[in-house]
Amino acid sequence: MKKMKTILTAGALAVSAMSAVWFAGATQANEPGVIEFNEAEVSRILRHGPWPMKWSPDPSNRVSGNTHAVDLGERLFFDEKLSANDKVSCGTCHIAEYNWTDGVKRNQGLALVDRNTPTLMNMRHHRWFALDGAADSLWSQSIRPILDARELGSNAAHVAQYLRKDADLSCRYEKTFGISPSKQDDEAVLVGVGKVMAAFQETLTTEFTPFDQFRDALARGDKAAAGLYPRDARRGLQIFIGKGICSTCHTGPMFTNGEFHDIGVSHFIEGGSKKVDGGRHDGIKLLLGSKFNLLGPYNDDATRATATKTTHLKPERRNFGEFKVPSLRNVGYTGPYMHSGEMMTLEQVVRHYSELNIERLHTDGESLLRPLKLTQRESADLVAFLQTLNMDRAPPWRGKEYAMPPCTVGSKAVVEDNYAAP
Amino acid sequence: MPKFLRLLLCVGLLAGPVAWAAAPLPIFDAHIHYSQEAWERMPPKEAIALLRKAGVKRALVSSTNDDGNQKLYAEAPDLILPSLRTYRTRADISAWFKDETVATYLRERLKKYRYAAIGEFHVFGADVDAPVARQVVQWAKQYKLFLHAHSDADAVERIFKQDPDARVLWAHSGFERPDKVREMLRKYKNLWCDLAFRNDHAPGGKLDSDWRAAFMEFPDRFMVGTDTYTAERWHYVVEHANWSRGWMTELPLEVAERVAYKNGDAIFGNAMKP
Repeated sequence: MKKMKTILTAGALAVSAMSAVWFAGATQANEPGVIEFNEAEVSRILRHGPWPMKWSPDPSNRVSGNTHAVDLGERLFFDEKLSANDKVSCGTCHIAEYNWTDGVKRNQGLALVDRNTPTLMNMRHHRWFALDGAADSLWSQSIRPILDARELGSNAAHVAQYLRKDADLSCRYEKTFGISPSKQDDEAVLVGVGKVMAAFQETLTTEFTPFDQFRDALARGDKAAAGLYPRDARRGLQIFIGKGICSTCHTGPMFTNGEFHDIGVSHFIEGGSKKVDGGRHDGIKLLLGSKFNLLGPYNDDATRATATKTTHLKPERRNFGEFKVPSLRNVGYTGPYMHSGEMMTLEQVVRHYSELNIERLHTDGESLLRPLKLTQRESADLVAFLQTLNMDRAPPWRGKEYAMPPCTVGSKAVVEDNYAAP
Repeated sequence: MPKFLRLLLCVGLLAGPVAWAAAPLPIFDAHIHYSQEAWERMPPKEAIALLRKAGVKRALVSSTNDDGNQKLYAEAPDLILPSLRTYRTRADISAWFKDETVATYLRERLKKYRYAAIGEFHVFGADVDAPVARQVVQWAKQYKLFLHAHSDADAVERIFKQDPDARVLWAHSGFERPDKVREMLRKYKNLWCDLAFRNDHAPGGKLDSDWRAAFMEFPDRFMVGTDTYTAERWHYVVEHANWSRGWMTELPLEVAERVAYKNGDAIFGNAMKP
């Protein structure tokens, strides 16, 4: 498993002669001068927090935040019997110790997939799901791999039948939804499975990071604490919010705007050079064609406010080759990078932006993107900053021991049993 | 505008969008690139097959460098209208207009091959008055070629100052708002517009009212274009053609036919004839 590099190195606080300017580390021989953050920069830095973000259960999923749903969702997430060959589960590619991704370029369920496995960390804060945004809710996204022929290769009938036949799962389903899967049609049970899996994934969140410590220290005016942030990371942060204009898209506490962009990466599908991944363009078409989208009958939100974002969605030509801007939280754990996993390291990612191939960018497309032409030192600093977005310890495995006791048949639904959202 | 066309338009306007024939509209694609990665990934035979599959009856094509263009033209002279791009590599994009080595390259190509246009080139404002850009405008006059200009309105006006009889195909219609495009079309009778790489005329696939007014005022001056600026974009040609046919259903058939292919046929129809 990947090891996280030591992040917190001793820093020194330089005393500012000017108010409202933050010094960042003492000057040393061979080092650039003291890094200062002016007021505008401090303001930009503060926008990347606080962490954790507030969260409330998803209105489109009536069991979002429900402890029984989380328990059942976790069991099903790792249950290979949902798949067509009883050998693949969601956990095949989303591995806890790998930050809920898998550490490989492209993984294989029943067959090789076209894209890199995205992390599930902090999914509850996203607006669109999957790299192409083909789902508008976490629960509908959870259904897609079950049905995809290359992933679990299953179908509603198989999933529903399995739950109905398994007394324990059936009991937990009834506890969660207040109705036995035997009394629902296949598709309703499939949706139920998607919703409990979503409830489980909503519990997967990253922890406080060295960057958060620095950001919060700035926010409360604690210069001593801010001074502990490593000098190279400070310089990298200054590039990130400054000349790199990275924070334009990797914005906010999640370090993503949650939208889709073309950053000049090839979107031919590797191994089949004639095939192209249409990205967001195709994702929108899939989303609008899905009976599980928020415009459909399975949205539990009576107000339908959650569906507003989907209502006016149409694929446009600029969407062709756009992919979702990933969150950078725990980015050191999410490699390989890019939608196709073509870049193995953060150094390669930074080099991509530094040497951006303008031939791949339309002159009137992503107008912000220009080659950054970073020096070796600047590139290293940017990577050092990105590494401070990792939490201190590897994502913990939840353990094979489930918190819930064996289920007793006949229990009533306990939808009020919600856990407290942080 | 010819009288017969005005009459047809009046009928169209009164009747609104008309029932469409079963066969999909042919497309004149005024903005295709076939640059090196494209021809390496998609050889000419495949590229031509894809254009035909999309229902593209003719296409104005340029490539960086020009070799791709010639490969494609050799494969389907009935379909391809070659346009000479001013770039040997994409790196020429920012300074071609003042680079004498580009002029040498263009001079040689013009002597060796036949073209329907020069472009698509990128030039903005006063840069079009630089020596090589001026030379290009003069070559267009000499060889009776269109200028496919990815330019702002200022550069387009400067081209017409250099040669009032120049014929300009305004790439992406300068990314200007429809009222500005109409203003330019009123001012310059030899200005035509492509709609490549923009969505604002049909956001969400629905025709925008301001653009509709532009198409109705100048039904004989607009063309569509895919803009295959990366190799992957070739896989968008079919989608683009279908998308264009979609929003055109909101136009009277006669206008839709003109924007879809008749305007391209009318102005480029004889370009490659001996």
